[in-house]
Amino acid sequence: MPSGSNGSLCAPNGKNNHRGDDLNIIVDISDIKVSNNPDVTLVTYSLGSCIGLAIYDPEAKVGGMLHYMLPDSSISKEKSQANPAMFADTGIPALFKACYKLGAQKQRMVIKVAGGAQLMDESGFFNIGKRNYAALRKMFWRNKVMITAEDVGGMVNRTIRLHIGTGNLNMKVSGQEERIL
Amino acid sequence: MDIESILKDIEQLPPFPTVVTQAMALLDSPDTSAMDVVKVVQYDQAITANVLKVCNSAYFGLPRKVGSLREAVIRLGNQQLKEIILTGTVVKYYKNAMDGYALSKHDLWKHAISTAIISRLVSKKFKGVDESSVFTAGLLHDVGKTILDGVVDEYFSQMFALVGEKGYSFTEAEQEVLGVDHAEVGARMGELWGFPKEIVRAIRYHHAPQEGADSDPTTQAVYLANILCLMMGIGVGRQGLHVRGRDEVLKQHGMNNTDLQIIMAGFLDEYEKVQDIIMLG
Repeated sequence: MPSGSNGSLCAPNGKNNHRGDDLNIIVDISDIKVSNNPDVTLVTYSLGSCIGLAIYDPEAKVGGMLHYMLPDSSISKEKSQANPAMFADTGIPALFKACYKLGAQKQRMVIKVAGGAQLMDESGFFNIGKRNYAALRKMFWRNKVMITAEDVGGMVNRTIRLHIGTGNLNMKVSGQEERIL
Repeated sequence: MDIESILKDIEQLPPFPTVVTQAMALLDSPDTSAMDVVKVVQYDQAITANVLKVCNSAYFGLPRKVGSLREAVIRLGNQQLKEIILTGTVVKYYKNAMDGYALSKHDLWKHAISTAIISRLVSKKFKGVDESSVFTAGLLHDVGKTILDGVVDEYFSQMFALVGEKGYSFTEAEQEVLGVDHAEVGARMGELWGFPKEIVRAIRYHHAPQEGADSDPTTQAVYLANILCLMMGIGVGRQGLHVRGRDEVLKQHGMNNTDLQIIMAGFLDEYEKVQDIIMLG
C-alpha cells in the first residue's frame, strides 16, 4: 500500500527488531523503504510498467528500495506532495536522502533497476514503462549516477528482493527461476 | 485440445446463487422496498456476512459502520447495494491460487476488484458507459480464468512458444492452443448465470473491444481498466504484459498517455480503501 511520505520514509532501520532470521519488509506500489538491519530483506512484488530501484552502500551496509509508478510529478503536485514515491522525479531523490540519513554515501552506492515493462503497443500510446525508465536515466545522467545492473523493458513482470546483509538483489520473473541481478 | 471438455466444465458449474439473482432483479425494479431485498438475502448467511464486510470497507465510504443487513439496505442506494452484494458473492469464485496462470491466492481477486474500481474511474472519461454494468463487468471480466487454469497449466509450453516466438498475445495463444480463450469462457459463465447482456458482452470482448459503429463504451472501459491494472502489476502472473494496447480506444475518447497516468494516480487512493475487501478473497 502506498503510505504517506512520513510513513514510508520512517522505514524501520530495525535495530530493535533483531530476530536473527530474515525479516521481509514489503515495498508497496508508490512506496520507499530503507534499512541498515542486516537481517532485513526489502521486497517489491510484481513490477509491471512500474520501476523498482534498489540502491545499496556496501560499506555502510545501508540499502533502500523505491517502487514508483509514474515518470513525472507534474501531472499532480498534490499527489506528489502526499506521496513522493509515486513519481520518478520526486521518489528518486527521496530514496537517496533516506539512505543518506542512515549513513550511506552517494559515491559508494551500487544501483540496480528492474521493471519498466511494456504491453504490445506499436503506437507507443501506452508506453508508461518506457517513460518511467527514461525519467530515471535522465535524472541519473544529470546527477552523474551510474547504474550497476538492470533488467528493464520486455513484457514480463518482476519481483525483486534486496538483502541488506549482503547487498544481493534477487529478481524473479513470473514463471521463471529466481536469479541474482 | 478438446474444447468440448472445457465447455462441459462450464455447464457443470453450480448455478449462481438464486437469492442474489432475485435481489438483483428487485434492485432494478422501481417498486421495490428495501425490506423486499432484506427478505430475499437474509437467509443466505455467507452472503449476508460478506455483504456486511464489503459495506463497511472504506471504499464504499459509509460514515458509520452498519451492523445488520436491514441497516445496510436502508442506508445505501440501489446501485451501490447491487455492487456490494455482487462483490460479496463473486469473491468465492476467486479464492484459489492458480498454477496455470501463476497467480497466488488473493491475486486474481485483487485484480478483479482493482479492475472494477478502475473501470468506474475510466467510465467518468468515456461517454455512453452503462453505469449499472461497468463495475460488475470489471469484477467478472477474468472469471473464465478460474475454469481455464487447469488446461493452461497443461498446455503452457505450447502457448508460451506462440507468445514468446510468434508475437501472440496471451489471449490469442489461448484461442490457438486451447480453442477458446478465458474471455469467451467467462462470457459463457455469465450467460449461464443469467447476467445482463451488457455485462456478458464486456466480459467476452475485454481483450478485443469491437471497433467503429459497433464499439461499446462499457466494454472499452473494462478493456482499458484491465490493461492499466496489469501495467500496475496487479494480478499479472505468467500472462505478463502480453496484451494488446489498442490506441483506437484512446483516440475514440480523445485520451492520451497523460490521461492514463492521471487515472493510475487516482486509483491508488481508492486501492488503499479496498484492502479489507481484498482480504476476503
